[in-house]
Amino acid sequence: MMRRLLALVCTLAVLGAAAPAVSISGQLLAYQQGYVFFTSGNGFHVAPNVRILDDTTKAPTTLQPRPRLFARAVFNEAGQVVELDLSKTALPLQPLSPLVQKYVVAASPSYPNPELAPKTSGTNELTATNTAGMTFSGKPVLIVFEVEVPPSTPFNTQVYMATDTSGWNPQAFRMERVDALHFRLVQRFRSGTIIHYLYTRGSLQSEERSASGLDMPPRTLVVTNADVRAVNDHVYAWADLNTVNGTRIQPDVQPTPFNPAPFPNLPVGFPTPHPR
Amino acid sequence: MGNRADASTTVRLNADHIAFYNDRYLIEADGNVRVTTSEGMTITGDTLSMDLKLNRFLIAGNVHLRSPGGNIDGAAIADFLDFDRVYFVPVIQEPDRWTYVNGDFKHPLKGREMPGDVFYFPDLTHAKINLTAHSATIGAKEYVRFQGVTLRIAAARVPLPSEYIYFGTNPDLGQNSLAGANMDLTYNFAGNNNSISAVHLRKDQQNGVYASFEQHLAGPHGYAVVSLNPATKSQRFWTLVGDERIGKHFQLNSFSQLYQYSPNGFFKQPAAASTWTYLTATQSFTQSYLTAQAVFTNYNLIGPSQPAIENHPFQLHLMASTVPHRIGRTPLFESLSYGFGANHDALGLQNYGGYTYTTLWDHSFNANVYVSNIKFGNRHNAYKTYYFNGSYTKSYTWYSMPHWDVYDTTNLTLSRQFNRAFSSYIGYNVAHTGDYYRQGGWSQPLNPPVINGVPVYSLLAFRGVSTLRTATIGATYTTNPNFVATVLYQHHQDFPIPYPGLFPQPPTNNLGDPLYANYLGQPPNNITGDIRFLAMPHVALDVSREYFFNFGTQRWAPSFTIQVIGQ
Repeated sequence: MMRRLLALVCTLAVLGAAAPAVSISGQLLAYQQGYVFFTSGNGFHVAPNVRILDDTTKAPTTLQPRPRLFARAVFNEAGQVVELDLSKTALPLQPLSPLVQKYVVAASPSYPNPELAPKTSGTNELTATNTAGMTFSGKPVLIVFEVEVPPSTPFNTQVYMATDTSGWNPQAFRMERVDALHFRLVQRFRSGTIIHYLYTRGSLQSEERSASGLDMPPRTLVVTNADVRAVNDHVYAWADLNTVNGTRIQPDVQPTPFNPAPFPNLPVGFPTPHPR
Repeated sequence: MGNRADASTTVRLNADHIAFYNDRYLIEADGNVRVTTSEGMTITGDTLSMDLKLNRFLIAGNVHLRSPGGNIDGAAIADFLDFDRVYFVPVIQEPDRWTYVNGDFKHPLKGREMPGDVFYFPDLTHAKINLTAHSATIGAKEYVRFQGVTLRIAAARVPLPSEYIYFGTNPDLGQNSLAGANMDLTYNFAGNNNSISAVHLRKDQQNGVYASFEQHLAGPHGYAVVSLNPATKSQRFWTLVGDERIGKHFQLNSFSQLYQYSPNGFFKQPAAASTWTYLTATQSFTQSYLTAQAVFTNYNLIGPSQPAIENHPFQLHLMASTVPHRIGRTPLFESLSYGFGANHDALGLQNYGGYTYTTLWDHSFNANVYVSNIKFGNRHNAYKTYYFNGSYTKSYTWYSMPHWDVYDTTNLTLSRQFNRAFSSYIGYNVAHTGDYYRQGGWSQPLNPPVINGVPVYSLLAFRGVSTLRTATIGATYTTNPNFVATVLYQHHQDFPIPYPGLFPQPPTNNLGDPLYANYLGQPPNNITGDIRFLAMPHVALDVSREYFFNFGTQRWAPSFTIQVIGQ
């Protein structure tokens, strides 16, 4: 008798262990019309008597399923969600097991998307327009920008970098002088960031000009996954020094009256040049 | 510069609660979300997430899509605006996955595999809300304009009727016409793809605290900026900046200002007014470019009774410049320029020998040779490598009267990065200026100038030639990108010899910096310390001060220079 009872208990235990509850967890996308959707885009049938619980306490909760909440869905054998454990904090996103994959409800059969096929050819050079298919971890990358400026750059000048990430503020990032012709800036940007930038001398009237003397399109940098990246640039001319006769355009500064003597601040009353 | 006239999608968003995270250019909206796009879709739903940089949005929860393809309910929809792909989870009899391609809403691709992260919400755990709003208009990849705004600055909540934020890659809309300031709080209260209207609250050393207005306009081939600065002070500047790119090799730039001094009120007749315009045309060639520039100045618009300069000079110059070329296989580079032009002022430009010249023609030649970097020391160890560079520039300007100027400028620097945090350089600069006349020219004064009762004899040796020598030591210390400290020491050994109070100080800009680099009478020694650090996310603080080693009454610079910089 005892042996039979023991065998029955063991059998029940084995059966119980063999059929654990199937579940997945993730972030909710929607909960409507008898379905629950996760951010993977997968939708599952919800049982009419589904239990809505708190994921931590496993007790009924006042939270209602809605987008952005995290949830663990427990399935019955028919593939219906019978329990939904809600959480405001992130739950791990689980890959779909083959069993759960069968529970996904979709009216149309899935077929491959050729646009998602890996690129097999192309250039190694990353630009702002060919990053499709690239993956970026988003890790902070130390970028060292070093720029060579034209020799006409005044020695007391400051050089800055204006970027689209700072609304083209012409003084957003000040560079440090390395020597007479070079300036350096070290900044962190997350990988995957596409930066558009121009060098300036403090205003967009004194922004850099191309080798052709004209306005230039912003420089572009795609931040790839790396620990450190060095960027070397060359400024050929500055807009405000790209003028003739040494005239510098400066906002709110009256042009200096024509003075044939190149000494604008001699003492008052000092004799001016005259013939002998 | 290219054509910026790309047709862009406009997205109009209404919701119970809209939050903007400016760190990541994310818009998150919840409650009664309603989106209308210029592509012809109207979508309602429970929640929205839009990444402005990736240019895509997701609407989830009880979605209703109204499109040229009809009205359909669904669980979620994501629009990848850059790729013209709309991914939809409709719920008709049961859920499905549809992809709309290239705006064809009548023929969805049913069951086609979707990118893996189409319906993902961003992780906002450490993100901070910059503002909340009731509605928003988004110009894809260009701008977002919020209405019913509450701005969050630390713990403060500032209600504003609207807020415009430009995040596009076109610097034309970022062009500004304002002079530098120590602090500038910009409120963009209106704008779209082609314009921004902004009010600035500014502070600088000359004007104190004041407000300014600026209107930006940008088109496919250029831009214009109009501003009034400072708008709330009696001395103000009206500015118009223009830029037009005609073809790939030609552009026109203009810069016009009207100065107005109105001590009796904004709408009263000014006590002084003047105006000036720079008009520049540039034509590029393969290895050179040609620049023509006209400058019109009228120093007095009010009339002869006003105590102002009455001159109204006009200058027109043409200059050809070459881009730097390497000289053979040497490490040297050279560039040349040559120009000519005329200066005219009916009231006279220069009086020489009893004759007043009203027109002076001139032509000039400029040659520059430089070496970018010569490495020596331990070239295999970046921290033990020395870099030498130098440049030499010679310029001549000849005038139609028997007069010419010669400029020689030499710059030499030696630099080294000692470790990851510390770098330094030493430099030597000589600026030599000669002002020569064929007959006569400069002569010594009869008596030496007297400063505070002391005659300054050294100036008697001045004959129109100055030599300014500057030795510089600079060092930079930076432990991380958010903290930089620099020290700069300069020793000047000049002729004419500087003497406290002898030479008038050069005019300065709003930040207190001299308007020109080389001037007579610089204190023989000065040291400048500068610290810059990130005070808040996207806001850097720059604090600097200069010491002049007891040159006359000059010791410390009058005050710290503090700049608040938005990043």
